[in-house]
Amino acid sequence: MDRANAIHPTRSLSPAMIYPMLDWFIPARLKENNELKQRARMFLISHLIGPFLGHTITVYLFILDPMPDYALWVLASQITVFWAFPFLLKWTGWYNALAILSVQNLILAILWGCYHYGGLSSPFLPWLLTVPLLAFFYLGSGARQRFLVLSLIALNFAGFYAAYAESSFPEHIPLSSLSGIGIISTLAAAVYVSIMALYYGNIVASQSELEREVRRHLATARQLQEAKAEAERANKAKSEFLANMSHELRTPLNAVIGYSEMLLEDAQADGREEQTADLKRIHGAGKHLLTLVSDVLDLSKLEAGKMEVYPERFSLGQIIDEAVAKTKDGIAANGNKLVVDCSDRDAVIETDMAKLRQAIHNVLDNAGKFTRNGTVTLIGRVKGEKLELTVRDTGLGISKENLSNLFQNFGESEGATSSKYGGTGLGLALSQKLCRLMNGEILVASEVGVGSSFTIRVPLLYRKAKESEPAPLTAENASTSLAGAAA
Amino acid sequence: MTKILLVEDNEMNRDMLGRRLTRHGFTVCFAVDGPSGVRMANDEAPDLILMDVALGYMDGWEATRLIKANPATRRIPIIALTAHALASDRDTSVKVGCADFDTKPVDLPRLLGKIRGCLDGSIPRMSAV
Repeated sequence: MDRANAIHPTRSLSPAMIYPMLDWFIPARLKENNELKQRARMFLISHLIGPFLGHTITVYLFILDPMPDYALWVLASQITVFWAFPFLLKWTGWYNALAILSVQNLILAILWGCYHYGGLSSPFLPWLLTVPLLAFFYLGSGARQRFLVLSLIALNFAGFYAAYAESSFPEHIPLSSLSGIGIISTLAAAVYVSIMALYYGNIVASQSELEREVRRHLATARQLQEAKAEAERANKAKSEFLANMSHELRTPLNAVIGYSEMLLEDAQADGREEQTADLKRIHGAGKHLLTLVSDVLDLSKLEAGKMEVYPERFSLGQIIDEAVAKTKDGIAANGNKLVVDCSDRDAVIETDMAKLRQAIHNVLDNAGKFTRNGTVTLIGRVKGEKLELTVRDTGLGISKENLSNLFQNFGESEGATSSKYGGTGLGLALSQKLCRLMNGEILVASEVGVGSSFTIRVPLLYRKAKESEPAPLTAENASTSLAGAAA
Repeated sequence: MTKILLVEDNEMNRDMLGRRLTRHGFTVCFAVDGPSGVRMANDEAPDLILMDVALGYMDGWEATRLIKANPATRRIPIIALTAHALASDRDTSVKVGCADFDTKPVDLPRLLGKIRGCLDGSIPRMSAV
């Protein structure tokens, strides 16, 4: 009932306060079932409190007759033995058996008291009211339990009726002396029943509190779901906005690039050195911006789920030649040597050539950018059903912590490197997403100061698969799987 | 003198590409939308048509279809210009009868290569795959 505690943290007197003590007696097996646990707690409370109330009567009887005979000692033991039940429960765990035994002991004790002290006008008679109450608390109120409890009462009555028929009621204390005890006995029984009823009422209250809590949580869950749907709608709207914006940006950008190129051609033709340099910068910056805009457009298309794969047939040699032609100048600009190693030039590939080209181009371009006076190697291989294109460089390398967000948007190692090396920070994220779209992936392995190795792995033959999305790739498993492949 | 019809709705792109082609010795005439492109293909009888496919009114594919349907203009090679190098664009350009296709922004040396290829027939026309 820790939850009940949490719900009423300020309630000063609650049954929850004695739960730790009660629960000490409850075997672990019973605690697993919440209903059984509740019944066991009732069982324990009544067994701990009941005998105190019962003994007010035995004490009074003892005062009336300081030299009692067997009848009082039997009654006192019957009441006292209830205190043993919690310990028996802890040691044996036989809840149902102990509960039935306890009910039987209660009936026996009450009828014994009535039989020996006052018969049909006995002051103990009100205690009979507690029997069904406690029995159903302990055992539940199913048909079997009702039958069992009523049978027990009937059997005990029958037993004592037989004894009465044999020899009438014995008189240990004159009936007239018992009048005072009637008040005490009735009061004790009333207090006992009240305590149990209060306890039961408390549980009912805390359970309806729990229900309210559950309803509140359900409402919260619904709100969260609505918020999630709203966020997804907003994200989609954002992607659409970006796609439209990017398209709008390209038109003026193309003018900047085109006109600066024309001016550049003029300046070069006329030998105007200074203008040539400036125009080259404008032209270069325009092209860079266009790449960025195109990448954003592609990414937003990918995220909006609007990017589709258009498979076409081509050879491995063809795509390698195209990628090399497009990037070799950039790679050479940093004093790097480009080595191409491709043994399966005629291997036929059927996938989205433009997207694969874009991915290879991005990876090659990156290798050239982050390597100075080193070597960039492009290896093309067919491995089983997959095409593997590996780009290895002898560049800066990527630290472990940067590897983990390498494929995130704007995940280029550090802010500073981006401006120093002129990346958009989108190329790798985009390439990874493009490869995933073609049911492939990009793997990376890197060592700081030694170099990096990126492997694009896509199926030779693209097949539209809706459900089989490749598992998300983390830098750790990527580098290990690559190390395994290299070994 | 080789005459090229440039069908392009963006004014700056039209101006830019037109001037650059002129510098390379071509005579350039312009159309700003699909219908005028179809009309001018007939009236001007150009040697080659550069067709922007993303035209606002009647797209470049439809204009190409109409030009190819007219016996007078059927033989004029058309190079489609698209914003993306999509295989679907290539397929469509083949389907409607384009001789070649290229992407925007224009890489002039590459486009010049394609123009010359179409004009002297040294590059075989694309065929449906």
